[in-house]
Amino acid sequence: MNFNEVQNDSSPVIVARNFTLRYGQKAGVKDIRLEILPRRVTAIIGPSGCGKSTFLRSINRMNDLIPTTRAEGFLGVNGVDVYDKRVNLANLRRRVGMVFQKPNPFPKSIFDNIAFGPRLQGIRRRSRLNRIVENALRDAALWEEVKDSLGRSALALSGGQQQRLCIARSLANRPEILLMDEPCSALDPIATSRIEDLITKLKDDYTIVIVTHNMQQAARVSDQTAFFCLGELIEFDDTKTLFTNPKQKQTEDYITGRFG
Amino acid sequence: MSELQHRLHTLTLRLDHMGMRVEQALVDALRALRKNDEQAGQAVDEHDPIIDREEVEIEQECIRLLALYQPAAIDLRTLCTIIKVNSDLERIADLAAGMGRRVKHLLTEKVSLDEYEEFDHLAQATTDILGRTVRMLSRSDVATAKNVIQMDDLIDKGYRHLVQAVLKQEDRRIGGAGAAMTVINLAKALERIGDHCTNIAEDIIFLQTGDIVRHAEAFEKKP
Repeated sequence: MNFNEVQNDSSPVIVARNFTLRYGQKAGVKDIRLEILPRRVTAIIGPSGCGKSTFLRSINRMNDLIPTTRAEGFLGVNGVDVYDKRVNLANLRRRVGMVFQKPNPFPKSIFDNIAFGPRLQGIRRRSRLNRIVENALRDAALWEEVKDSLGRSALALSGGQQQRLCIARSLANRPEILLMDEPCSALDPIATSRIEDLITKLKDDYTIVIVTHNMQQAARVSDQTAFFCLGELIEFDDTKTLFTNPKQKQTEDYITGRFG
Repeated sequence: MSELQHRLHTLTLRLDHMGMRVEQALVDALRALRKNDEQAGQAVDEHDPIIDREEVEIEQECIRLLALYQPAAIDLRTLCTIIKVNSDLERIADLAAGMGRRVKHLLTEKVSLDEYEEFDHLAQATTDILGRTVRMLSRSDVATAKNVIQMDDLIDKGYRHLVQAVLKQEDRRIGGAGAAMTVINLAKALERIGDHCTNIAEDIIFLQTGDIVRHAEAFEKKP
């Protein structure tokens, strides 16, 4: 099972076909059909409990950590069904990185946080690790702020810096896809704005899927938006269309605050 | 109803009310012209600052709502439409005020609009299109909006007929060039009112459908 086989530029990186994920009997998401294109930012919005995080966490099988989950249908990354039994989870999660709501740096130095993944992959040479750490921190727009204190504890960084550190930690694994589950909800507006700028910059090289409760953020950073409600995908369209002229009344009611 | 929707509803009512004031201004200006009533014409002009103030207040409220609520979808389209229609209505009121001021030109140039039945036709068509526009506005009615866009062709035609008639009179040397200019300026104002009504109709179609129908032909024939 090889997720590395990048198909041509316009073929979707993530494909869901009739994908359902159940927690016991209850469906977290139902019958999702969706195609996510490479090097785009795709936002998933919807009211609490609508299945947006469930769908996001299905892409790199984070939901496996919850017992009784069961997947049906097809959810593919680069054409490979991520729920195929032969899938190597470590490999999947290296290719599909994840950033969570609350920054969760390891209680280690800044350097060791970033080098953690590459070391797991067996990279030992200091010069190579140095290069990977610097590149990842540069890509995450954090290098200038921490380059003189890489030995400092990551926990001493501000919330916004910690979140960028977590993004850098994902990038050090050279993922193709970055999943972000409300990455700014614990941050102040300035830190939020820096992360949003970073997302825009990162999409040149990565496919990004972001779950957010902040609709203005979805409108600002994403190219395409999916609206979920009660576990179903109600509408998926270009962000500019969905936020100015949605086709479904449910979408319109949600984004104008008439329900949800 | 959320606070935003409540405030949008209030704005829509204010815009409807402004539309009615503007319609009244045109009717009063035309009546003053037909009766050569300088005082009535001046009254239309003096009334114009009330509409100007209302326009500014509506725009300020639109900007406040954009900044405070960052509206989307139908709410965003409603606000954009209000901003644009507000401006068109204010321009129509300016044109009506200008027509009111021209009553005294008619008197000084000794022009009688009775000589031009084309003026009556154009004035009637313009009153009709504005009346329809104001009613369409309160109902956000796409069918009437399409009808208004078609009606503007009649106004353009009426304008051309009137200009031809004025030039014919000029050839017969009845009245001076000043008289001809006065009538042509009045005709131009009516023709511009038709254009503003078309703009408003296009905005109503955008509000209801999200489609920008303005300059559609420019997008069909991409160079």
